[in-house]
Amino acid sequence: MVTLTIDGKEVTVPQGTTILEAARSVDIRIPTLCYHDRLNPIGSCRMCVVEIEGYTHPMAACTTPVDDGIEVVTSSERLTRIRQDSLKLILVNHPLDCPVCDKGGECLLQDLTFEFGIDQLEYQAAKVERDSQYASPLIRYWPDRCIMCLRCVTACQEIKGIGAISIAGDGYGAQVVTVDADKCQSCGECLQVCPTGALTEDLSRYKGRTWLIERVPTTCTYCGCGCQLELNVQNDRIIAVTTKDGVGINKGSLCVKGRFGYEFVNSDERLTKPLIKRDGKFEEASWDEALDLVAEKFSAIKGEYGPGAIGGLTSARCTNEENYLFQKFMRAAIGTNNVDHCARL
Amino acid sequence: MADGKILTINMGPHHPATHGVLRLVLELDGETIVKVTPHIGHLHRGIEKLAENMNYQQVIPLTDRFDYTAASLNNLGYCTAVEKLLGIEVPKRAQYIRVIMSELARIMGHHLWIGSHALDIGAMTVVFYAFRDREMIMNMVEEVSGYRLTPSYMRVGGLARDITPEFIKCLREFIKWFPTAVAGYNTLLTDNIIWRKRTMDIGVISAEEAVNYGLTGPSLRGSGVPYDLRKVKPYSSYDDFDFKVPVGAKGDVYDRYLVRMEEFIQSLNIIEQALENLPEGPVNVDNPLIFNPQIDDVQKDISALIRRFKIQCQGPVIPEGEIYHAVEGSKGELGFYLVGDGSESPYRMKVRSPCFILVSALEKLMLGHMIADAIAIIGSIDIVLGEIDR
Repeated sequence: MVTLTIDGKEVTVPQGTTILEAARSVDIRIPTLCYHDRLNPIGSCRMCVVEIEGYTHPMAACTTPVDDGIEVVTSSERLTRIRQDSLKLILVNHPLDCPVCDKGGECLLQDLTFEFGIDQLEYQAAKVERDSQYASPLIRYWPDRCIMCLRCVTACQEIKGIGAISIAGDGYGAQVVTVDADKCQSCGECLQVCPTGALTEDLSRYKGRTWLIERVPTTCTYCGCGCQLELNVQNDRIIAVTTKDGVGINKGSLCVKGRFGYEFVNSDERLTKPLIKRDGKFEEASWDEALDLVAEKFSAIKGEYGPGAIGGLTSARCTNEENYLFQKFMRAAIGTNNVDHCARL
Repeated sequence: MADGKILTINMGPHHPATHGVLRLVLELDGETIVKVTPHIGHLHRGIEKLAENMNYQQVIPLTDRFDYTAASLNNLGYCTAVEKLLGIEVPKRAQYIRVIMSELARIMGHHLWIGSHALDIGAMTVVFYAFRDREMIMNMVEEVSGYRLTPSYMRVGGLARDITPEFIKCLREFIKWFPTAVAGYNTLLTDNIIWRKRTMDIGVISAEEAVNYGLTGPSLRGSGVPYDLRKVKPYSSYDDFDFKVPVGAKGDVYDRYLVRMEEFIQSLNIIEQALENLPEGPVNVDNPLIFNPQIDDVQKDISALIRRFKIQCQGPVIPEGEIYHAVEGSKGELGFYLVGDGSESPYRMKVRSPCFILVSALEKLMLGHMIADAIAIIGSIDIVLGEIDR
């Protein structure tokens, strides 16, 4: 165990802890931009700089491990100026997109810019206009909005273990590129960790703003895993699916189906009435008619070939209760043990 | 009545002389009032509660709807209270313009008072002259803010925009003209024998009683207490101006009338001084956390755009703390008690409404008088139901 002082507060943490984690353990807030709980420290944004007694240069709290007896100062005039300057440098090339950006209102860069009271940029840079491109068919990448925090690249590598994206180019020309398009599963892990609007979901682009939507927490129905997700609902329509970091079994991750497979909910092509095939064509029918027909056919098959001729396949998207009822029906009403389900979708 | 039976009659809420939707249940012995029960709440809109779900700038239009006869004064009270909570001071120019707008609002409020008060007692002419001059102010308010009755011209941290040359021109004309107009009101009422008979020795309240009831504003000063927040606890540069606080002697309806008549002149006096000494400079505080950047910057500077985006969509964040701040409204001490919890909306906003307290003194003022005097007394305390019910 190592004991150090942060802002005059004595903290004892295990060896190897970073200063940032030590500060957070005693509720001292150090502003961060590229740091993400689920990722190894990246150390690209310089927002978390702290002063350590005896060191001439400020150190990044997210990457510096604690040492016995050091005295850390997390906020001072000098640090604020450094943080402001870091933000200003990030903002130099940022496009004037807030009014149309999907992230506007829940953007970490906006929050920090506002918090540090940056009202004017003294720096100028030649504007480099770059078109947005598709990282995958479902994810759009906006190079202009990208602040090069490397969260997406790290998440793809560390959380998913895929490494489909990486950084190409240097200086102002640097951008995130897809290294191997075949590897990308469109899981959206990069979307989840992106602090700005550099990576946006292309299904729900421009559909709603963060303060107008209602986030309804629910459980994903695609497989038995039971990931926690939030349906972004605006005017009774699902316009996006997000998830909260650190919530549920998935802790902020989703797969391509969970994150992007929601459009069926409001699809016009969904069946709302049962159909019966008559003379080779489907015709709308009432539930009574349809159920009578099914019961009649089942009885006929059971009478002719016995209950073993009937099998039931249910779905992993149904709830436990529904699946229980289904197997009960097969066993008790039909009298067969031929019950199975599709395991996954 | 001859047999000594008590007659209970209902006055309002649709009565034109109750100055809004005030309902009084009067109990009469003959024509003499023996009991008064005010019923309020007909105009309740839950403004204090609404404010808890709005950001600090969005509350300003709500404050217009307290005392809508003098809306700018409410804006001033609210904005200065929030600024006090934030610990910021607006530029001198903004303070002076605020003073001009507030004093114009006070004159507007008094115009409505003198018009309806005289009309209630039977002097019909006054209202036409009062509204003729009120119209001049309305036009000026429209010139700077775009609205006539509910300007919402002030902002936390300054003003919506600077005043225009056209406004200054109109204001100079008004300053030149207004003393003549006030002399006109005086001719119609002050020495009018009917007016004097209807108002003198009616609704008397002594200085001590007035203080005990918590009366403020002209109704308190009519009883001889020189309590005016602009002098006692100056805000928004009021200590820069030289003006008198008129007081009455007896505390009857006529004294309260005289106090307000003199306030016309004193308010005009303050406006004149503020206009002549109007400093140059910005009208908004230079604080990126509070105030919107210039629109030109927003269109080319990302940090200004973000700042505008955050201020518009989220609102300025006010630190934790509580504050009570009061200004001299046209009816009395208009106080705002604000609790900030470090978010964008007030945790609690309580308004100390002068009219609410004036209504509580109605029974004291009315007991023993004739029913016809009830009208004169309601007019003399100058209540606005928008502020009582909120």
